[in-house]
Amino acid sequence: MNKKIALLLLLGSTFAPVVQAQIKHIEMRVEGMT
Amino acid sequence: MKQHLGRQSGVQSVEVSLIDGKVEITPKEDEQIDPTQLLKATYDSGVTAAEMDMTARGKVVKDESGNLALQIAPNRSFALVPNELSKGLESLADPATLITIRGQLYKKPPGKKQKVDTAIPLKLMILEVEKKE
Repeated sequence: MNKKIALLLLLGSTFAPVVQAQIKHIEMRVEGMT
Repeated sequence: MKQHLGRQSGVQSVEVSLIDGKVEITPKEDEQIDPTQLLKATYDSGVTAAEMDMTARGKVVKDESGNLALQIAPNRSFALVPNELSKGLESLADPATLITIRGQLYKKPPGKKQKVDTAIPLKLMILEVEKKE
């Protein structure tokens, strides 16, 4: 049981930063717009 | 163009300024958007993207060749164009540190209207490191 909890914590700490990672904003300058 | 971009996956809102030709795209919370698809959608709507800047939060990783990249999803990362700011991030290439970066993803080569080559991966040239967590 303890092993399962430890494994879950390990996986959580490994993947958590990527889950929070995200493109927050994109800005473009365009030409030819009417 | 606004409607065209607004239909792309993960896009929350699109703001267009006709005066200075600026387009601001805000992604939906907790969803990923694909900048390459946005460039393609822009071209398909009949206008030319001159520049694209991105603000993103992710972790700095090293690819197989030892080059730095910003990873924003398990299967998505952007190679960093080497510059003074990217050199300063080498020490942060670990899975525990999240950084927020503003950088340029695309700049149209000089010349006439040109279709974006979606086969070439976009590289991120860091303009500013906003936050380290």
